[in-house]
Order: sequence, then C-alpha cells, then structure tokens
Amino acid sequence: MAVLTVGLLAFGATRSSGPSTQEERIDAISKRLACPTCSGESIYVSRASAAESIRNEIARQVAAGQRGDNEIVAFIESRFPGSLLLPPTEGVDSLVWVLPVVALVCGFGGLVVVFRRWQREGRARANPDDADIVAAALREHDDPTDGL
Amino acid sequence: MVGLVLVAFFVVLAVSKPREEADVASPLIGNPAPSVRSTLVGEGDFDLSRRKGSWVVLNFFNSTCVPCRNEHPELVAFADEQAGLGDGAELFSVINDDTDEAVSAFFAEKGGDWDKVRDPDGTIAVAFGVAKVPETWVIDPSGFVRMRVVGEVTNSFLSGRIDSMRAMMSGSGS
Repeated sequence: MAVLTVGLLAFGATRSSGPSTQEERIDAISKRLACPTCSGESIYVSRASAAESIRNEIARQVAAGQRGDNEIVAFIESRFPGSLLLPPTEGVDSLVWVLPVVALVCGFGGLVVVFRRWQREGRARANPDDADIVAAALREHDDPTDGL
Repeated sequence: MVGLVLVAFFVVLAVSKPREEADVASPLIGNPAPSVRSTLVGEGDFDLSRRKGSWVVLNFFNSTCVPCRNEHPELVAFADEQAGLGDGAELFSVINDDTDEAVSAFFAEKGGDWDKVRDPDGTIAVAFGVAKVPETWVIDPSGFVRMRVVGEVTNSFLSGRIDSMRAMMSGSGS
C-alpha cells in the first residue's frame, strides 16, 4: 500500500498536464521569454510596447497552430537573441539542468564514502604502546604528586 | 565636491558623441526578408514581396522618439537623393507604436513624402526583431536582407553602403 501511495505521488508530482487552452499556451510561452527592452521582466509580465508585440506574435502563431511551443520560443529567440529566461530542456543545453543534479549526487556520495572511512578508522584497536601511554596518563591523573 | 562631480558628469554627457553607425548582426542578414503585408497611412496596401527588383529601405520609427526625430532630415535627404537616381532605393517608414494622426502631423511638419507602413500589432517589428526604434533595414532587389542599422542613420552612410552593395552585386553578376 505504501509503495502504491509513493508511486502515485511520484507520478502525480512529475506528470506534466501542459496548457490545455490557447490562452494557457500563450501565457506559458510568454513566461519563458524575457522582454527585450525591460530588464528582468518576462513577456508575460511586461507592458512594454515590444513585449506586447511579441505577445501578439505568440498569440498569432498559437492560433495558426503550425508551430509547437518550443518552435515558437525558438522563433522569438532567433529574432531577439538572449530572450530565453530558462535554458532549453533539450539537446546539449539540457546539461544545464542535469549537471547540478549529477554534482549534488556525486558530492553526497563522496561524503558518504568519507564518513564511512572515518567511522572505520574510529573503530581501530589500540596497540600495546597506545595502552602504555594511556596507563601512564591515568596514573599521573590519579596521583599528581607522583611525578614530583 | 558633489556639485563638481555632477557638473563634470553633465559636461561628459553634453560633449560625448553618439554611437557611430554600424551594421548590426541579425540571423536575417543574407536570408530572404520576412513576409510583410500591411496597409499604408492614407490609402493603399504594402506587400514587401512585390517590391522585388528594387532596393528597399525599411525605417522603423515613432514620431515621439528623439533619435527618430534627429535622423529624419537625413532620411529626407536620402529619399531625395535616391529619387534622382534611375534605380534608387525605395524608402518606407514602418510605424512603431504610434497613430496615423501623429505620424501624418510629423511628416507634414518635417517633410518627407515616402510611404508609411502601418504595424498596429507589431507583427513587422517582431518579424525583423526590432525592439527599439529607430532601426533601418536594407533589402536587396532579390528580396534578401542585406543590412541592419540600430539607432540613428545618416544619408551618407546609407547611400554609401547601398552604393557599395549595388556595385558588389553588379560586379558578381557580370
């Protein structure tokens, strides 16, 4: 039951329903693109003239139904280079998304290996010389005048 | 001290020269011009594909933008000069975020009798990747984009570049 619950939760969390209406598609595409004349704003948010023109073009292309979302984004990016707010999730560019996760996993794995090594070293048994040193230290502690 | 810095700042701004004209990169350069169909201020239609056979200059402008107003006398001189040539370039203004009334009043005051192309929803601007005006694009007689200039343009620069491109194309064609 627990496995089934976790599986369903994972499926629900990762499943992408995608925009269902044209308006939702226009909004989704607009949020992926930066306004070319205003700093730090998306086409979706900006009220600048250039942003409105681009939003109109997105709406026109969505209504025409000849291009997918990624193709429309690529078209706008070709006309206004540097307008991508998020790196693409396809091709070599997808490494931008994958590499941080790989680095995180490798870092976590490295920590696990190091901690285990330290744990093993912590269990090392004392040799006779170590025991003599400890015994001498204890004697000194029990009788501080012993050494005078 | 602060006053001195402010004065120096304004002096630098006042005497600094505007950026030199230069071609600006675009993925459209060397490729067929985007399809442009619209209407003209006044009356008539505009279809860029029907201008093939002529050098076409598209100047994206807005009657309230200061650089556009600054470059206008240069465009008037360019249009006059090209009109005197047998195969002179055709100049069109593409209206960016402006009204017919404002544009007509601007041309009535400042001169210039070339056609003004409407772009009410910014389709033409997006097709060319124009975000700010003024921008000037040159399209050759075969319909290929040859040049893009961002910012103010002068008659001498525009005429000179078109002359050299025209010479280069006629040389490669012979």
